[in-house]
Amino acid sequence: MREIVVEPLSRVEGEGGITIQIEGKRIKDVRFDILEGTRLIETLVVGKTPEEDVSIACRICAICTLSHRYAALRGLEKALDIRVGPKVRWMRRLMHLGECLESHSLHVFILALPDFFGFPSAVAMAETHGEVVKKALELKKFANRIMEVTSGRMIHGENPTVGGFGRFPSREVLLEIKNQAHEMVAFGVEGADLVAGLDIPSFFEAATVFMCCEPGQGEYGLAGDQIHISSGDVVDAEQYTQLTNEWFVAHSAAKHCLYKGKPFSVGALARINNLGDRLKGRAGRLYKKYWNPHWPKNPLYNNLAQAVEIVWALEQIPLVVDNILKTDTDPKIVRPKRTEGEGVGAVEAPRGTLYHHYKIRDGLVAEANFVIPTGQNLADCERYMRRAVEGLIKQDADDGTILRQCEMIARAYDPCISCSTHLVKIKHEEA
Amino acid sequence: MNVDEKMNVGLYGLTGCNGDQLTVIHTEDRLLDFFQSVHIRSFSLAKSDNQETELDIALVEGSVSNQEQAVHVKDIRSRSKMLVAIGNCACFGGIQAMELGSKGWDQRFKHVYGDGFLKLRTPIESKPIDVFVPVDFSLPGCPIDAHQFFYCFSHFIRGNTPALPDYSVCAECRWRENDCLLLKGILCVGPLTASGCGAACPSHSLPCLGCWGPVNEANVASEFDLLREKGFSDDEIKRRFRMHAGSGMMKPLKKILGVL
Repeated sequence: MREIVVEPLSRVEGEGGITIQIEGKRIKDVRFDILEGTRLIETLVVGKTPEEDVSIACRICAICTLSHRYAALRGLEKALDIRVGPKVRWMRRLMHLGECLESHSLHVFILALPDFFGFPSAVAMAETHGEVVKKALELKKFANRIMEVTSGRMIHGENPTVGGFGRFPSREVLLEIKNQAHEMVAFGVEGADLVAGLDIPSFFEAATVFMCCEPGQGEYGLAGDQIHISSGDVVDAEQYTQLTNEWFVAHSAAKHCLYKGKPFSVGALARINNLGDRLKGRAGRLYKKYWNPHWPKNPLYNNLAQAVEIVWALEQIPLVVDNILKTDTDPKIVRPKRTEGEGVGAVEAPRGTLYHHYKIRDGLVAEANFVIPTGQNLADCERYMRRAVEGLIKQDADDGTILRQCEMIARAYDPCISCSTHLVKIKHEEA
Repeated sequence: MNVDEKMNVGLYGLTGCNGDQLTVIHTEDRLLDFFQSVHIRSFSLAKSDNQETELDIALVEGSVSNQEQAVHVKDIRSRSKMLVAIGNCACFGGIQAMELGSKGWDQRFKHVYGDGFLKLRTPIESKPIDVFVPVDFSLPGCPIDAHQFFYCFSHFIRGNTPALPDYSVCAECRWRENDCLLLKGILCVGPLTASGCGAACPSHSLPCLGCWGPVNEANVASEFDLLREKGFSDDEIKRRFRMHAGSGMMKPLKKILGVL
């Protein structure tokens, strides 16, 4: 038996690996192993106040810190019947856009692109593609600045709290962000053009189901109380367990998810496939120019989908800043109306739909359940890797080629492995 | 500097959120310099082609939460002249160690993973790395502060030992002329917490949650009494003190409360 193993998988966040077992011309197994240590965070938030919960839950992941915080806030505020005003809602949008921009620019240009140009890292890639790396770092720096200004720190900022914000940024700082966003759009478009020019292999393509938050009002967006499924169904986020049926596999510290018994995908590619026709401006033009029928069948297009979303985010930021500035006075933190309740918060983390579900009793968290995007993508990611291995065996490809192809597929999903553990509540084991 | 004189450095992540390694990556302006000032032999988050060789400096993020990580950190130690714990998870165990010393990890593990087993790893309750190997220097923070990191790092590569401030968040808070939240009756852990964040939370009118872990010689008993006087229950105080402090708050709290 031929066994190809990569462990750890580099240029992804957290500890994961890929195992491929081949017998003759037959695949025995293709696995995305989740090796990250267990933290049991869902049990640690029990007995904590809602404010303490957001400080703990955001630390599940450094890249998705604000998505976790945002999902937690939405779930907790529903449970406690807290209704925040427009300034808070727009500020949350801004922080979330900052995170999306930061995560996407890191993933597309620093983590994924070196694969396509045959480099081990972006630093090595800088020798021949210095300008792209430099501009991508500038874009990332700008996105970090948004996260810092809105959340109080680049990573795990505590400023966005239950019922509002501790402090709002000044008008000057917000206007500076607005202007910088305008200036960055040109590089965003250049970056998308660059990614669109990459050679994308198609031999492992297959249709799948895509899910994302439905932002409502015909808009493109990163949060919603309903889930948009590529089949055309729109389902309340409260029913997330039916959408994501989680099951346990022994090679993964993260649960796998299935929808109606089949793998599905979430993330930028899901959002663009489901909602891309709503994009306007430069992002809309990029969508019209580059979207083609391969997109719903090939996860490698996630890189380009993220590049399009970078442009969308840069075009959104000025609009969002204007909306924040419409309200002069900084609203006080809204206090809870009750001490008991239940709520589900759903947002789009950069790599897909994230659910936080809370039950509150006596003002403290009584139960918590988090379903994270990487877990939802694992089954589909393995399915595409398996198809790729099948195709490559037929061509008598060597181990290195097989492995590189699988790594590119896994990396295209932008897996966030630190996120993908700690979320599991298992009833039975299915191997 | 002669190429051959460059130090060999590795960055590693055990269990955590990757926020400390990401803080290094987030220093866009200095990132390329960082990569050029030393030989980065291993940094899996940022690059492929990693070599697990002898190192001058190993920077380790994250806590140890399975047997395999315990073996891994011992291996890193055995081939490194200097081992630096970066971030709260490595230094104190992080949030996943907030119940260290209290019983109940087995039940909590079962609650999350059921009777399922993880065949590739053998989980244990999360602990800081100094439980397993000697640590030469600890740089706390959740996540670490980039300025502090580069300050320390530039000392390390010249063979010097950096000195971190030995005062609490309160000092930084006063420099920023914030109103004291404790005086307003808000449960703030600033007096017990190592500085370095620039009093990030109190500067946003939000209480310090202690995410840099305890400062040296923190007067835990005195703050405990103060908060009791202000009407907070022992449970509330303990919960807040332990949230980010991991192993760092076990002894002082045991002394005050008898049990954890």
